[in-house]
Amino acid sequence: MLYLFDGTENGFFTAFLQAFSDTDAHLSSGEAQLLLGQAPIAVSTDDSKAEKAKKRLLSFDSDCLRDLRILRRCGASDNEQIAFAYMRKLANEKRAVRDMLADEAVFQAVSYMRKVRLEIHHLHGFIRFMETESGALYAPVSPDHDICDLLLPHFCARFPSLPFVIHDVKRKKAAVYDGKNRYLLPLDKADVTLSCNEQAWQALWKKYYSAVNIPSRQRIKQMIGYMPRRYWAFMPEKNGSDTENPDET
Amino acid sequence: MFDFLLLSGYNRIMITQEKLTILTESAKYDVSCSSSGSKRKNSGGMGNGYAAGCCHSFTPDGRCISLLKILLSNDCVYDCKYCPNRVSADVKRVTATPEEICELTMDFYKRNYIEGLFLSSAVCKNPDYTMERLLLVVKKLRTEYRFHGYIHLKGIPKADERLNKEAAKYADRMSYNMELPSERSLKLLAPQKSKQSLLLPMKTLTAERTNFLQEKKKGLVKGYFLPAGQTTQMIVGASPEADGQILRLSQALYRNMELKRVYYSSYVPVVRAPLLPNAQAGALREHRLYQADWLLRFYGFTVEELIEEGENLSVDYDPKCAWALKNLHLFPVEINRASLEELLRVPGIGARNAQKILQARRFSTLRFEDLQKMRVALKRAKHFITCDGKFYGVKNESAVQGLLTAAEWSENAVQTDFFALLPDDTQNGQRLLLSNRQSAIAALTGEL
Repeated sequence: MLYLFDGTENGFFTAFLQAFSDTDAHLSSGEAQLLLGQAPIAVSTDDSKAEKAKKRLLSFDSDCLRDLRILRRCGASDNEQIAFAYMRKLANEKRAVRDMLADEAVFQAVSYMRKVRLEIHHLHGFIRFMETESGALYAPVSPDHDICDLLLPHFCARFPSLPFVIHDVKRKKAAVYDGKNRYLLPLDKADVTLSCNEQAWQALWKKYYSAVNIPSRQRIKQMIGYMPRRYWAFMPEKNGSDTENPDET
Repeated sequence: MFDFLLLSGYNRIMITQEKLTILTESAKYDVSCSSSGSKRKNSGGMGNGYAAGCCHSFTPDGRCISLLKILLSNDCVYDCKYCPNRVSADVKRVTATPEEICELTMDFYKRNYIEGLFLSSAVCKNPDYTMERLLLVVKKLRTEYRFHGYIHLKGIPKADERLNKEAAKYADRMSYNMELPSERSLKLLAPQKSKQSLLLPMKTLTAERTNFLQEKKKGLVKGYFLPAGQTTQMIVGASPEADGQILRLSQALYRNMELKRVYYSSYVPVVRAPLLPNAQAGALREHRLYQADWLLRFYGFTVEELIEEGENLSVDYDPKCAWALKNLHLFPVEINRASLEELLRVPGIGARNAQKILQARRFSTLRFEDLQKMRVALKRAKHFITCDGKFYGVKNESAVQGLLTAAEWSENAVQTDFFALLPDDTQNGQRLLLSNRQSAIAALTGEL
């Protein structure tokens, strides 16, 4: 049976309770594909039931909500289902299960969490800020997973007095730091006026990128392995292009 | 008031593209790229350390860009045969001002292009003068620009000890490059350098750092002293030393100098000279050296187990596989009972997989299918393990052994005498096998 919930955490736990003993349960908050001849169950969120379930699961594993929150950021379409199977395993075992890697549900969940964390780590490096006229920084991103606000702590610690915006152009939202507080806002399009020096610094960076390369040791495959093409769109040194040698084409 | 003006107006000085190109082209053959090991805090100003290190880009040669790798000057008084900037070379000489380097670092850092600065220099006038200039830049960057990102500073051999110690307070990491793995090759190719001039400052800084850490623990001192330690680099393939000899030197450096890493750089002929080979050293040799290096640091191997002094590493097998084939009597090991030490010695099982196996077997006996489900690479491992008593590999020892015994012997191996200076203090410097999850991650990034 397919259980559709509203996408909130409490919605997830309400659905979790309802679907718990259904061996063929599928959980989703998005546009899940309907199986032929199956009417989905629309779950109406029950906050008090959900809170109870959370409390009980936390008593088995005090880190389980942290795992769940990472899992639910995963961009894969079956992420809610994977999260459900993981939490169900936890409820059945009544102890932390994340090390039970020989279990399919746990292994899937752990690999999804790893993917999300890996992308956060990747973007700590691959994000490119531009300096705007006001001095604030602006970085467009298009991540696989819903993580733009999870990038904030790293950059806030790094630029404590610099306002900046990390704009997820795919999900049309932005994580904002104004030099004091952090926000997550819906943002469709950003009107950004760059500072007068921005182009010159970008040009200097491109120059550096080509100068530091050793052409006689070309290993394109390795470069792409470490820096997947999907991140190139916003990197000036790749000229926003996902071809291998943007300068030569 | 003055500080404020300086910071707000710091876009005024921009290094020219030509200067940046020349100073980068000269610095790029240094392979060290990591930005890990420092947890420097932000105390106002810009930047902080990222203990795990962070790669910001990758160039078409497959190397990462983590730090802005640049020379302060390429105007050299030395005449090292392999170096494009040797005094006898006819190249354009440029020197950056401290402000140019500082502003470049700040503006690149702010845009998240880099994790920090890797600053080096040709030897201008004399070692002391050069070291003073380098020190001036890092001091300015830390105090005036209030930059707390990563700084890797190349030490200048033969510079005054006091300058080195002062620089160590501002840099996260310093390195003196051995470049050539024996005194004889150094004499031949880099006549102004000597083992003494390279090893002495390393040794002094290691001792100072140990002192500093002890005093900091007691609360007697504050601040930093090379939080990310020291590294070095050796060029492979420019001189005739065998892998066995190079790795013995590495092991001694890890044990006695507490180096965080030794980098191996396969020789790229930038300069043509009668004493130098014209061919580029193979990427495979460099790769094998790194594999063996990892075995020394994270897998509990000693160099004596892996390779004879005059020998080169096998081309056909990775060094762990080669070792296992020579020691088949130790295998197969039972995956459900083997210690971490034993698991780490199984070909194909790395630090991460060994950890995964340890975690998972606490809950159930692991079968072959379980390992497959856990995505443990079994292509090589299956010949060396049993899963719940069952063996899934092939026992064709003789064919494989035959290939191994034919391992090449380097004909022109030269005896090294570097060890004369390194006390044989294996007990004190014995590396411990890393045995927790965090160290397993360290094994992946290569940083202790």
